[in-house]
Amino acid sequence: MRLSDSKTRSETGFDHVMQSINVLTPFGKRRLKELTPFAPGQEDQLDHEFHELEGIIRLVKEKPQLSESLIETLMDIKDIIFTIERSKSNILSIVELFEVKSLLLKMNKIIELLGTASLPLSKKFILEDITCLLNILDPRKDRMSAFYIYDDFSENLKEIREEKREQERIIRKVKKTIKSQVENRYGITLTPKFEYAVSKSNKELIRIIKEIPELTQWDEDHLSMIFTVKETEEIDSANREMDRINESIEKQELLIREKLSKSVGNFSHTLKNNCDKIGELDFTLSKAIYAIQHNCVRPHLVKEHRIEIDDGRYLALEEILNQQSKPYCPVSIHLEAGVTCITGANMGGKTISLKLAGLVAMLTQYGFYIPCRDAKIGLSNDIHILIGDSQSIQRGLSSFGSEMDELKEILDNSKERSLILIDEIASGTNPAEGLALTKSIVQYLKAMPYISLITTHYDSVAESEGIKNMQVIGLANADLRKLEKEIQYANSRERIEIISKYMDYRLYHAKNNEEIPKDALNIAKMLGIYDEIIENAKKYMVGKKGNA
Amino acid sequence: MSLLSQLMQTYKTLSIVGMAKNSGKTTTLNYLIRESMDDGIILGVTSTGRDGESTDMVTGTEKPRIYLAAGTIVSVPRKLYELADAGLEIISLTNYSTALGQIMLCRVEDSGYVQIAGPVNTKDQKEICGEMFARGADLILIDGAAGRRSIAAPDASDAIILTTGAVLFRSMKRVVEETAHIVRLYQLPVLENGNTRDIIFQNLKSEKIMLVKGNNINILDLRTGLLAGNFLDEAIDEETDYIYIPGALTNSVISDIHPSKIRRVEFILKDPTKIFTDVTSWQQFEKKGGKVKVLRNIKVAALTVNPYSPEGYYLEREALLTAMRNVVEGIPVIDVKMGGKIH
Repeated sequence: MRLSDSKTRSETGFDHVMQSINVLTPFGKRRLKELTPFAPGQEDQLDHEFHELEGIIRLVKEKPQLSESLIETLMDIKDIIFTIERSKSNILSIVELFEVKSLLLKMNKIIELLGTASLPLSKKFILEDITCLLNILDPRKDRMSAFYIYDDFSENLKEIREEKREQERIIRKVKKTIKSQVENRYGITLTPKFEYAVSKSNKELIRIIKEIPELTQWDEDHLSMIFTVKETEEIDSANREMDRINESIEKQELLIREKLSKSVGNFSHTLKNNCDKIGELDFTLSKAIYAIQHNCVRPHLVKEHRIEIDDGRYLALEEILNQQSKPYCPVSIHLEAGVTCITGANMGGKTISLKLAGLVAMLTQYGFYIPCRDAKIGLSNDIHILIGDSQSIQRGLSSFGSEMDELKEILDNSKERSLILIDEIASGTNPAEGLALTKSIVQYLKAMPYISLITTHYDSVAESEGIKNMQVIGLANADLRKLEKEIQYANSRERIEIISKYMDYRLYHAKNNEEIPKDALNIAKMLGIYDEIIENAKKYMVGKKGNA
Repeated sequence: MSLLSQLMQTYKTLSIVGMAKNSGKTTTLNYLIRESMDDGIILGVTSTGRDGESTDMVTGTEKPRIYLAAGTIVSVPRKLYELADAGLEIISLTNYSTALGQIMLCRVEDSGYVQIAGPVNTKDQKEICGEMFARGADLILIDGAAGRRSIAAPDASDAIILTTGAVLFRSMKRVVEETAHIVRLYQLPVLENGNTRDIIFQNLKSEKIMLVKGNNINILDLRTGLLAGNFLDEAIDEETDYIYIPGALTNSVISDIHPSKIRRVEFILKDPTKIFTDVTSWQQFEKKGGKVKVLRNIKVAALTVNPYSPEGYYLEREALLTAMRNVVEGIPVIDVKMGGKIH
């Protein structure tokens, strides 16, 4: 199902949340990438998903230490699906077998950790037992992640390797005997490698050494000659024996690798299943951690198409305010089929409230907890936001042109149970036509089975029959005298901050024909626009009253 | 006593660093590894890059592979694992990648030849060393860089073993002189703890030239004195006691500064590898009364000499050894190819 386009995902802030979801494993990353939304009619499945998420949230909250170990275990899991696939018809290399063993140990650890959680967790997260395969790859059962073709893998290999060591001992012993004989007899000292180096300039010494029957010249460079112990019949035959042994060791090791690979191949289905489960666990765990860190709650799903958000917070903005240690003013929005307008003061957060509605709806349908105190959400078939962005200008379109282009796209694609979010439409053209167009769009949307949320400055749009008007409280209840006093000595940046401080971003349901407060001139004045301009503007307002 | 056992009494991590390519770095490494086998020392062996390949990738000269005994802990890149003739137990896959794949930490189960490689940057190297110690290594040998200019300050190791030899110059006098010069520079005195050191450390991150006058500091908007010697000369005044230069100290920087000022101030450098002057210029600098201290110096644990140059000529071995021993007092000098007692 296609719920929205990429612009909507980014403008509602959904992408921002996605980017903050910190999955740890390649399997979790894949799960996140393949994330699909739930459609209307799938409320039960979605609710089940929330139930599973709740289980993991409980785990994180109630067993912090266990969760830490779980996160640590997930941390450096490698994606070896290809190796697992290969094992079905190929012989794995030692490095590959090491990786399989490491993954098995990780799986074992996850099984062990979740086993001790004593919390009811969804089967989706419970890995299948792999002890049997682990025992094959870890015959010593020491459960260390190191790997080698150990002697323990086969009696045969053990014997051959022992033979090899024996031959090495024999050779060394013979050479040592010769070494000490030579050293005693000729008063020279050989290196532990049984070598003796002579400078070429020392011709006399070279002549003497050359005559020692037990030594032979082995190497030379421009400077020196290097002599070593001559190989006796005994050493020779031991060396030949070594070659034979080495060959059969190689054969044995290959046999063992083949056997181990086959075992891995037999388990490939289980292993791949477990990888998927790890992905599911990792993904859900990171959702849970995000929900806890951002104070998100489980939405209540309702059958009818409705969106009721109590004390919602727009996450991207909240993060910024948190960093500046400023309080966030949560906003409640209640929407149902039909058109709802958000009107009110400039700087009153209308656009943020619009985005918030989109974010909460999107997060819900993708199975995330949502940033509010409580919410009832009915699922949508389609979510779209129409909002001015810098991209359209970069594409070379006029803002009005691209707006109309997008509007058509949205109207064409909308179907029953659509959520349409429109920010200040037609604000880029002349007010007379802009108003007319907006009114007409609203009339059109009113008749459609959509939830439409529109921010607008055109009062009369919101005042029409059958349109719900949510108004920003704005500066209505603010102590303006105090505000003005505070603003008097502030510089321009501080002024904006002071106004924001006095601003009440919450929305209230304005009854029809209620006067919409005009704060624009007030705010312009507070921001230092010359009195002369403000006063004249007020005069024009008087002349215009009743026309808009 | 073997060289290795002697060094082990003082150091835990040793970098083998060459004055030039073909000065005998790998031969030295193999020599020390051989000693470790005789003395029963468990070695950790790693490298500041790929090593152990049969031909040197830079110069194309022949390079012996590294033979490791069972028990040795070694870092091997993934793609070279299968090429190892030794039996290697894989202990862990590290997070450091090279062109030859991820670096793996292995324990030698069955002695044999191995091609080693390791992380390039110091921080990763320190971590690898830490893990090698954790896995039971008694002493770690790091196959370091060759060529003086590429010698990074050896933060990862306690000291270096410097390899030098005929490859540097055809003249024995010059080989000995240049080597002695480097050894002297490496062991320049460290700026003692105190006010000046504190002041410099407080502003170290700025990476700027600093002039210290008693308790006052003047930070110039310069990283090196390169091409700005005159400016530097101007900035040094009557009250300047110390001048800290984070970048290179070169002949040109020295020659731009008035001799009377050179006599008066003390130069402070990060470490000795920042000095880029030839022997003669350095001697003149010292004659003028130039004084240099470093924030950290480089301990030279031993010197190995290779009388043979791959270009085909060679120097007289005994004479070279003797001359070298005369100029670097207190540091063991050996010819690893011939072995021999430590003097």
